[in-house]
Amino acid sequence: MSGRGSYLVAKVGWALLTLALVITFNFVLFRILPGDPARSVAHDPRVSPATVAALTARFGLDKPLFLNLEGGDPFDSQFVAYVGRLAAGDLGVSYNFRDRPVAEMLGIGLVNTLWLVVPAQVLAILIGVAAGLVAAWRRGTPLDAGALTFGLVLWAVPTFFMGIILLFLGSAWFDLPTAGKGTIGAEYASIWEELGDLVRHLFLPTLTFTLVLLGEYLLIMRSSVIEVFSEDYILTAKAKGLSTFRIIRDHALRNAMLPMVTLIAINLGFIVSGAIQIESVFSWPGLGELTVNAVRKRDYPVLQGAFLMLAIAVVLANLAAELLYGWLDPRVREA
Amino acid sequence: MRRSPVHRPVVLVAAVGLVLAACSAQSPSPSGSAEASASVAPATGGTVRIGWSGSPDSLNPGNGLLSEAYTLYELVFDTPIGVNNDGAYEAELATDWSVSDDGLTWTMNLVEGATFHDGSPLTADDVKFTLELYRDTADFPYLPSYGDVFESIDAPSPTQIVIHLSSAVGNFEARMAFMYILPKHIWETIDDPVAFQNEEMIGSGPFALVTHVQNESVTLEAFDTYWKGRPNIDGVIFQTISNPDARVAALTNGQVDLITEFPATAITTLQDAENVEVYIADTFPGSLRDVFFNQVLPENCPPDDGVCTGHPALLDVAVRRALATAMDKQQIIDVTQLGLAAPGLTLTPPGLGDYYASEVADYAFSIDAANQLLDDAGYLDTDDDGIRECPASMTDCGPTGDLTFRFNYADDIDEAPREADLLKGTWNQIGVEIQIQGLDADTLTSVCCPAFDYDIMLWGWGSDPDPGWLLGVAICDEVGSGFSETGYCNPAYDDLYVAQGIETDHDARVDLVHQMQQILIDDVVYMIPYYPQTVEAYRTDTYSGWLTGPLTLGLEDPASLAIIRPLQ
Repeated sequence: MSGRGSYLVAKVGWALLTLALVITFNFVLFRILPGDPARSVAHDPRVSPATVAALTARFGLDKPLFLNLEGGDPFDSQFVAYVGRLAAGDLGVSYNFRDRPVAEMLGIGLVNTLWLVVPAQVLAILIGVAAGLVAAWRRGTPLDAGALTFGLVLWAVPTFFMGIILLFLGSAWFDLPTAGKGTIGAEYASIWEELGDLVRHLFLPTLTFTLVLLGEYLLIMRSSVIEVFSEDYILTAKAKGLSTFRIIRDHALRNAMLPMVTLIAINLGFIVSGAIQIESVFSWPGLGELTVNAVRKRDYPVLQGAFLMLAIAVVLANLAAELLYGWLDPRVREA
Repeated sequence: MRRSPVHRPVVLVAAVGLVLAACSAQSPSPSGSAEASASVAPATGGTVRIGWSGSPDSLNPGNGLLSEAYTLYELVFDTPIGVNNDGAYEAELATDWSVSDDGLTWTMNLVEGATFHDGSPLTADDVKFTLELYRDTADFPYLPSYGDVFESIDAPSPTQIVIHLSSAVGNFEARMAFMYILPKHIWETIDDPVAFQNEEMIGSGPFALVTHVQNESVTLEAFDTYWKGRPNIDGVIFQTISNPDARVAALTNGQVDLITEFPATAITTLQDAENVEVYIADTFPGSLRDVFFNQVLPENCPPDDGVCTGHPALLDVAVRRALATAMDKQQIIDVTQLGLAAPGLTLTPPGLGDYYASEVADYAFSIDAANQLLDDAGYLDTDDDGIRECPASMTDCGPTGDLTFRFNYADDIDEAPREADLLKGTWNQIGVEIQIQGLDADTLTSVCCPAFDYDIMLWGWGSDPDPGWLLGVAICDEVGSGFSETGYCNPAYDDLYVAQGIETDHDARVDLVHQMQQILIDDVVYMIPYYPQTVEAYRTDTYSGWLTGPLTLGLEDPASLAIIRPLQ
């Protein structure tokens, strides 16, 4: 028990340390770049110096970065203020959408992104695992060759390209909506009609995301199952006269799923950032679009908030993977 | 190509002012097929769906920076004075206005019967409150400078406003065109107007806000008791479709009725599409692409921020004239804009009507003439490497003495790399080399001005309806402020700038503004490859009567949206 306990403490400790570094790095990263938001507003003959000064003060950009060494309160700095607000759960107010709280913007974006990525991930995992399994089982047949080619092509096609192609085909042939998450201004007779509209809008982006993710799952699952099939205990099971179905269900699948668990956990950490390209193609109002726009406008608070959220997702997913692995495979825990 | 390339975060390019009153006098060119037969009872109703690329950055008119926000303000608010499709100022909330002989007191009479969307009347008190709010809130990015000369504002009666100025101005009407009148009873309770989100967005304009979802949509409905009369349609929905290809697809398959910008490469697709009309026009007030030189003299180098590393040959007007003569504007327009732009001249685009100095002669493209200019000025290729050298008398031309210039462009301009390439092609033919590098807008600003750590830059501006603002980027006073990109300083130009700023006679001011443009051309302070045009596309089977030409405020301006009718 003590082995498991210290393993847990060590992993959680590292995760927290990583987060602290991410927070610091986030803060520094956006401030070592040239230019600042008050100045980017300022490059216009109609903006007076007084306005620039007022905006700089409002954003807190007139304060020193880390420590105030010029007298007064040494902790009256941008970094201390940032960490202090963060501890209170306040992510600040957007510079670009000047009157909007960042937490609110990120919250709306996250919900929209989850609508997109959760169905796509679930579909990709289910179809990818099943297809990989079948391909491995039918190894060497035309079915396997087809699945392998299919998987490789999907893995190789750039996300935005696949999105654009599906967008053209879907809107031209099937009259599917190309942007947004609902028919704007529509009035629905029932909740089902509203849900149907959402599904229509979700169809193309979800299809794109599923296909993009599918290839990797299919290929890894296939090779993992093939590897397991070459193990002695599979031969033993065959010798015992077990049916192929039982061999796969009871012996091959569980072992073959080990690398998949890692892959899924790591992918879950990146699902939010991975949707950026798809959100751009389909104008999906999620975290990805929000982040891209914030990068363009140098919107520090939104960027810091979004990056923090992405970092937390990755760190948590990795932590989950490590803990899960430790639980699945005792050798990892003991090491 | 985009409708209004706001490459520097400038620009109230969006539509300015309402044109409802003018519509009865001036018959808009009908653009729908069913217009002619609609002699019975004209149809009303319907909700127009518009696909655009962005989303308003703020519903608070003081805070807005993006053109999408200004499009919305034009629909939801009224201003005292508006602008019409001819680029002329016209009555809006103010029925008439006059100035005292000394130019220091302006009196405006207001319409009677105007109300806000919440039903409360709009009076001179609201106008006075709004003008003072915009003038006094320093954190509002643009509006304080429009009101900076308003010394005091009186409201002697509910329908009269008297404004006392600290100094006479020649652009009073332009200053009034962005004064979106706010309801005093709501705004006077707000402690921090900059932090106020204004989600109700109560105005007095032809459309009232229903919902706004950031980065998704804005829904407006017609204001039933609008003082100029209710719009013919019931409402407008703006949907954010950030992907340009998706916008084009949304129009062709009927998901939207109008798209406000799309890539030039989609024009043939749209022209061939059924029931879709592509609309191209000069934009009011317009925008421009510019190429400019580091011209800051060593003695003018800003003491604090100046780095001033410009190539000395660019201080020689002969070199700048040669570069201008070797710029093939038509080629740049044909290749990068697919022909959809007007050749450029100066900082005042043709969308500004008579302020545009059409009589000023540009440098005609000629490689031979450009070569001759450089030969005559003593820039010869003495070492036969294909690149000319500075004359021996000129020091600081670098180790080789070559006419090799750094060339930076803003990398958020899609066409910029191609434009830089084309320039390099023609300039190489006159023995000039450029080293091209794209930079993001913030980095570009940091090397541009007031650092002056560059040789040549390609960038863009959106114009204000008044020519004064953009012409002001070339005056001596701005060299250290960051607004002067070139470091150019010419007292004769400055005198004209001051004179046009206080000239209240329109024709006299136009003359001064033209003289300034002549100087900009003579001294080659800026080279303007082209003025982009407005390119929009709309469906012809849903609504008719879009207000087109001669200039355009954009089909999403109230000028159009208040008069179009559904086709059923």
